[in-house]
Amino acid sequence: MAVLKGSAERRPLGDNAKAWALNAPAIAVIALLVAYPIGYSFYVSLQKNNLKRPRAKRFIGFDNYKALLSDQAFLSALKVSALFVLVVLGLTVVLALILALVLNERFRGRGLLLSLALLPWAMPGVVNGLMWRTIFDAKTGALNGLLQQLGLIDSYHAWLTSGSGAFLFTALAQVWNTLPFSVIILLAGLSTIPSELYDAATVDRAGAWRRFTEVTVPWLLHPLLIVLILETMNAFRAFDTIYVLTGGGPGDATTTIALLDVQTVLTFTDFGLGSAYAWVITAITLLISVGYIGLLYRKGNFEV
Amino acid sequence: MELTRRHILKLTGLGLAGPALLSACSNDSSSGGGSGDGSVKFEGWDYEAALVQQNLDRFTKTSNVKVNYTPITSAQYVQKVVAEFTGGGGPDALYVYDDSLAAWVEGDYLQPLDGMAGVDEVYDAIYPGNAQAMTYDGKRYGLPYYTDATCLTYNAGILAQAGISKPPASLEELEAQALKIKNAGLLEYPIGLPAQLSDTWWSWVWALLFGSGGNMFDDQQNPIMNTSDTVTKDVFAWLQQAATKSKVIDPASLQLLPVPVDNAMKANRYAYTIGARYASRDYNDPAKSKAAGKIRMGLVPSLDGKEHGTVSNTRMYGLAKDTEVKDNAFKLLTYLGGYDDQKQPYTAKFWFLQRGLGFAYKAMVNDPTITAALKKFADPKIYTHLAEIAKPRNVLGVPWYTEFETEMHKVVQGVLSNQTQPSAAVAALAQSAVTLKKKYS
Repeated sequence: MAVLKGSAERRPLGDNAKAWALNAPAIAVIALLVAYPIGYSFYVSLQKNNLKRPRAKRFIGFDNYKALLSDQAFLSALKVSALFVLVVLGLTVVLALILALVLNERFRGRGLLLSLALLPWAMPGVVNGLMWRTIFDAKTGALNGLLQQLGLIDSYHAWLTSGSGAFLFTALAQVWNTLPFSVIILLAGLSTIPSELYDAATVDRAGAWRRFTEVTVPWLLHPLLIVLILETMNAFRAFDTIYVLTGGGPGDATTTIALLDVQTVLTFTDFGLGSAYAWVITAITLLISVGYIGLLYRKGNFEV
Repeated sequence: MELTRRHILKLTGLGLAGPALLSACSNDSSSGGGSGDGSVKFEGWDYEAALVQQNLDRFTKTSNVKVNYTPITSAQYVQKVVAEFTGGGGPDALYVYDDSLAAWVEGDYLQPLDGMAGVDEVYDAIYPGNAQAMTYDGKRYGLPYYTDATCLTYNAGILAQAGISKPPASLEELEAQALKIKNAGLLEYPIGLPAQLSDTWWSWVWALLFGSGGNMFDDQQNPIMNTSDTVTKDVFAWLQQAATKSKVIDPASLQLLPVPVDNAMKANRYAYTIGARYASRDYNDPAKSKAAGKIRMGLVPSLDGKEHGTVSNTRMYGLAKDTEVKDNAFKLLTYLGGYDDQKQPYTAKFWFLQRGLGFAYKAMVNDPTITAALKKFADPKIYTHLAEIAKPRNVLGVPWYTEFETEMHKVVQGVLSNQTQPSAAVAALAQSAVTLKKKYS
């Protein structure tokens, strides 16, 4: 009887304990599905670990990372990736800003244009790659057909067979796929700018360019920061579109670090080196993100 | 409702029981033979899976051994099998590529077949190149699934239109004939090659090297393409000349995988390609090809116009090292890659008659059924001669072969697109081989 009474009078959990208890499943799942694989991949990156040679598996410390300094394939892929990020990011920011400014205006058909502009975002990278591959096809491609009908070329060209051509067209395909996301972010940023600011600037005889540079840009710095961080990560990790479109070729003209990483892990089954590549990609994107935050976060005027 | 420790313990218990329940509901596919009824877990890439199943059903009917067959997407076959063996759930019997054999033996996935019933008999009856490709470190690891030799495939109809009566013997002659076709306005680019980067080997590059008597490696797998053997550099120089100066090789080749090249051959859009013999079966099939009846097989043209050889590949059936149903799995292997009760290589014959897949058994060429089927798409003499002069790549036994092949694709693309000069290309390949050898040492 005394036991039952004691049990009935058991104190309920406090708020703190309840919070932990309720979050515990989510924390456990995140730890199991996210934190553990991330930590394990770092552990693997410190190993000589190629599935083709299981008996040679051993802990080698940071040797995989040291080897990257003289790894020509890695250095070349890093160079290609850096250039790819610059081109994709530059094009994305400029085009997204223009599109967002246009879509921020009120005009007939705006809704339709907005829906169309968002369409590429819904397309998976592989499908995007296949679509552009069909468009750029040397024998039956729509691009060749269009240019020939416009009288700009005499015969069909194999656009993806030169290094610079393949690089540029791959970057364009990537931009097409990721542009809508940046447009949404910037459009959301534009919608938060109080119209009074533009009215005041107009009263002060500020022209369109000054209104853009003095009002719009400062208010867009935070959304721009998000765009820069996410698009840099996207471009650095770009894989599916490039894989389908060029496979990294011709030569290694479009072999980015992400492509090299997937090839190293899945084709060469070198999990040690491949994990080291992955951690280098992570470190680089983290550094760039911190740089962006340092440059842009405290700038911009958010006071109304 | 107030949350008490008791409630939380109950919920935690349920949370832990959930995965266990799910696990209990899953289909246990752990390492072969796990079901305990002696059934064999068999895996292969997904080529003609329905026909494979049909053949396996026949085996089950005659042997009473149940086979659980899983076809795996070709593009991911190697990776998935490696993942399965690494995770401890590999098959009992499986397809093996000749260029995966060394790595899979080193990885302890396969067991040798030496001493097992009928193996010596099979190895005595097949072409030496196939036997060599299925042997690693002096031990035999496979029974033959199919084999092929790479050849020059040409459209005799287009050649005739250009006034050409016989196929080229030398690379110089090939370029001249292609130019003749081009200048006659028949085709802008008479030669098409599958030169898009991919995970599969480029047989045509090896065929061109072996066709001219060259090699990239000596017998100890040391690179010689930059030192004692000049054939690689000369072949690369010819490729560059034909792609960028005389422009007889289609520049779109860099965007082409084998299937689009096959389609172009069937549509009379190329006069020449270099590829597997069995492709001619489809090329000459009126139901599938506009070029049917016009496609011929020839020896791979060489630098000096003389006959030297070509390259072969071998696909085999292997036996898992840790199989628990070794006897049944070996019975299956024998049915698929060896002789049946009538001393006939039943499955090898089945595949040739069904799909034209090349056979490793020398005697099969004298079988009237085979000859009759062969005559429908190829000249049996040339077909057999190609098998006789074909040899496997001597670098298949090194664990870094896949990496080297991938690097070679990039280098050859550089040559074809004029980004890399032949001398720089062979230097890069030699350097790559040295680096890989060091990495794996």
